[in-house]
Amino acid sequence: MKNPRRSILQACALLALMASAFAVKVGEPAPGFTAVDSNGRQQRLSDYKGKFVVLEWHNQGCPYTKKHYESGNMQRLQKEWTAKGVVWLTVISSAPGTQGFVTPSQENDYLKTMNAAPTAVLMDPGGSLGHLYAAKTTPHMFIVDPNGTLIYNGAIDDHPTSDQGDIASSKNYVSTALEQATGGKPVAEAATRPYGCSVKYKD
Amino acid sequence: MLAVFVSQMPGLPQANLQHARVELLARQNSLSDGADVPMGVHFILEKGWHIYWINPGDSGQPPSFKWTLPPGFSAGEIRWPRPERMQPSKALTDYGYHDEILLPLTIHTPPSVSSRTPVEFGVEVKWLICREVCIPEHADLRLSLPVAATASADPHHAQLFEKTMKLLPQPLPHAWKASVTSSKDRFALTIRAGKPITTAEFFPFDPGQIDNPAPQKLQPSHTGATLTLKKSDELLKPITILRGVLVIPGSPAYRIEAPVRQPIQ
Repeated sequence: MKNPRRSILQACALLALMASAFAVKVGEPAPGFTAVDSNGRQQRLSDYKGKFVVLEWHNQGCPYTKKHYESGNMQRLQKEWTAKGVVWLTVISSAPGTQGFVTPSQENDYLKTMNAAPTAVLMDPGGSLGHLYAAKTTPHMFIVDPNGTLIYNGAIDDHPTSDQGDIASSKNYVSTALEQATGGKPVAEAATRPYGCSVKYKD
Repeated sequence: MLAVFVSQMPGLPQANLQHARVELLARQNSLSDGADVPMGVHFILEKGWHIYWINPGDSGQPPSFKWTLPPGFSAGEIRWPRPERMQPSKALTDYGYHDEILLPLTIHTPPSVSSRTPVEFGVEVKWLICREVCIPEHADLRLSLPVAATASADPHHAQLFEKTMKLLPQPLPHAWKASVTSSKDRFALTIRAGKPITTAEFFPFDPGQIDNPAPQKLQPSHTGATLTLKKSDELLKPITILRGVLVIPGSPAYRIEAPVRQPIQ
């Protein structure tokens, strides 16, 4: 029988190793993960093999996140793409005591209030999933293709501001990438600079 | 001279403005025909809060400026002082300013200023100010300058402008050379200065080229140094020029525009 504490340490070491060994690079395999969602269910990236998966880093207090939620832009994208079979995973990596940290039930209330429609919200208060993907900002968007390859890493759109008024004239990189990829085409702009608040990591 | 600070950010509580005082300043008290006017937007920040450089790094947003100028006047580009490195977490690095900073520029004056009444300059400034959290702010600033036969300096402001000039990146000294060799995941920035460089730090002008939090390894040589910069995961295409600011303690900050030699395939 293995010492459980040692196993946890080994698991942590393995995760740290994965984080350093795998650069999150477009065209390369997206790092696998297991995380718990706001309904207490386990979510594995590998569960969604065969589907496109969007990862959206989120902090409900961040002005850049608010830009896309208070305008309804993010919810519109979530509804449009999940209706087309795309899996949308919102990730919260804010550490306890920092902006954007919420309990699962607070998050579920927020989803209801905002009429948001992700497939699931992954609770990552320890930041391991955020560090695994090198998520920098809220929002920061990633797309994984049905083979598990990372096909987009970057901003939600081309207007790095917190002004809702800019959304109408913005080019949405996530929608554009999903349109191209689901249409069997390569993603033309596969890496952009994400913009927003820094992810409020524990460390 | 009159600098008026008016904030009109609809929907934001007034309290958000307590983290910074912002003012539009001129180096001089008056303006005269054809003489350019050094002006700047001066940020005085509450302790612990910061704003961002032109390349904010991994998060944040640089201030933006929309000028309203009388006919015949035009505004030059902001000349960004050398930034500070800031680390919101071990995995993230931002570039910006703490405490107090003047962002200077030149206002070009027409050869003949027709107005004999004071000339009014206006700028709409938007900026993001952060501590642990970030707040977008906004102000409409106005400055009125009388027209005089010869412009006279405002001694207090002149001092602030002099101090700021020391923070502006200079061209590399004539005898120095900067070049970059690109490898799979790194840039090697070599500076030839004719003397060893033992400490240096590079700030990239363009986002998404280097991995901001990665340590910059410095290898001194008898003629300068080589700085190793990890490439950003966002960089998918080769670049031909690496642009940025080199900071060597005890020297002025230098502007770098180094040609990049691609790896041999």
